[in-house]
Amino acid sequence: MDQSDKDTVVRIDALQKWYGAFHVLKDISLTVPRGARIVICGPSGSGKSSLIRCVNGLEAYQQGTIDLEGVRLGENAAQTTLARRKTGMVFQSFNLFPHLTVLANCTLALRRVSGMARGEADELASQYLEKVRIPEQAHKYPGQLSGGQQQRVAIARALCMNPRLMLFDEPTSALDPEMIKEVLDVITGLAKDGMTMLCVTHEMGFAREVADEVVFMDHGSIVEKAPPDQFFSQPCHPRAREFLNTLLH
Amino acid sequence: MGFDLDFAIATLPLILRALDMTLLVAVTSCIGAAAIGFNLEILRRAGGAFGLVVRFFIDFIRATPILVWLYCLYFILPFYGVRLSALTVGIAGLSLYYSGYLAEVFKAGIDAIPKGQAEAAQALGIGRRDTVIFVIAPQMLRNIAAPMGNYFVSILKATPYLAVLAVPEMLGEAFDIASDTYRYAEPLTVAGITFLALALIISRGVKWLEDRLATSSAR
Ligand SMILES: Nc1ncnc2c1ncn2[C@@H]1O[C@H](COP(=O)(O)OP(=O)(O)O)[C@@H](O)[C@H]1O
Ligand SMILES: [Mg+2]
Repeated sequence: MDQSDKDTVVRIDALQKWYGAFHVLKDISLTVPRGARIVICGPSGSGKSSLIRCVNGLEAYQQGTIDLEGVRLGENAAQTTLARRKTGMVFQSFNLFPHLTVLANCTLALRRVSGMARGEADELASQYLEKVRIPEQAHKYPGQLSGGQQQRVAIARALCMNPRLMLFDEPTSALDPEMIKEVLDVITGLAKDGMTMLCVTHEMGFAREVADEVVFMDHGSIVEKAPPDQFFSQPCHPRAREFLNTLLH
Repeated sequence: MGFDLDFAIATLPLILRALDMTLLVAVTSCIGAAAIGFNLEILRRAGGAFGLVVRFFIDFIRATPILVWLYCLYFILPFYGVRLSALTVGIAGLSLYYSGYLAEVFKAGIDAIPKGQAEAAQALGIGRRDTVIFVIAPQMLRNIAAPMGNYFVSILKATPYLAVLAVPEMLGEAFDIASDTYRYAEPLTVAGITFLALALIISRGVKWLEDRLATSSAR
């Protein structure tokens, strides 16, 4: 592993993916340095979810490569498992386990995957629940929480596994407007702590404040890559301009 | 010859002697059928050619009369050197037969779980086996407590089939009394009422489980 590999968390190279005959990701290359906060945006159906689901192995791809800290994803089962464990994923629909308490949601992987003892796992999970400002809900069930609280639990659950990279797929799209801020504040906090992240979102205020790069996707390709100030004020590509107009209106 | 209540009451302890056997057969067959059915469904979901084979097996079980299973296990296996007691054959037959039905119930229960649940587990690095045990199975049970309970009652009601193997369960016992005394109404009625009582207990138990599963997740 050379120096550039050490400073790179994800390297996606010439990635191609098809769903049957449908070409969903077309020659995607993207390098995410350690500590980078990259926001991905683009019209619905442009392949944003498919891309970040490829990065943690939830979706298979057909050509190109994805390396997570130098470990190749999709090469073989052992490597894929190793690579996947470097990522944490937050879904649009939270996907908390409804039959488990908030605390048990957070400790399940610690106990079954990391083999941690109950006391230690509870302790660690409580710390992360504190970090997402929700420690008092530890013994409730997800169904008893608001959407914003559930999404913060989902973030804490992912953080428990100590990921090198956090993946967010429209983490606030399923939320009522008044809850968006509490979730974005938590993600902003993570960014300030230096967490590397790939975040699909259309929250422009958040992107301006947190992102060091905005990636615009359309029809399965990366069409434009720019710092947020530049992207939002003077996008180069006509389709990016069109997209920003639809967001504003 | 009218219904003699005193005689009916006198047969009760004799018939209840066979209650252990009925309960033993019913409970172990419920556990066996659920365990086999769940594994069949999990194997079927793995897909591919193997999944198709399992699918065929499930349909085959459901399309065969239960007595065929009991006779096959009891009379044909010994030709291949496998000699099982009547009780073992009875439990195995009921378990296999109902596993096909329970596999279908489990399928519906798993289909109703959002895909995001397994994906969340996978994203956390939780293995396939642990995902099934800790994420899928508990949510499946919550979805299917009622139909599963119905099949448990069916299994209880199928225990008299074991009479063909001379396993001394309740109905068989009642029939023995009847043929000894030439009085059919009383022992058969007592046996029938006992089955009814057991079925009601199972239904209550399932209802309790259903409520508990529902409140524990408050959804
Ligand atoms: N499992 C799938 N099978 C077939 N087509 C899919 C599947 N998932 C997504 N697609 C299609 O791929 C395209 C991109 O989807 P997606 O990655 O979800 O886009 P986005 O997240 O940008 O909205 C869409 O046209 C969608 O219909
Ligand atoms: Mg999407």
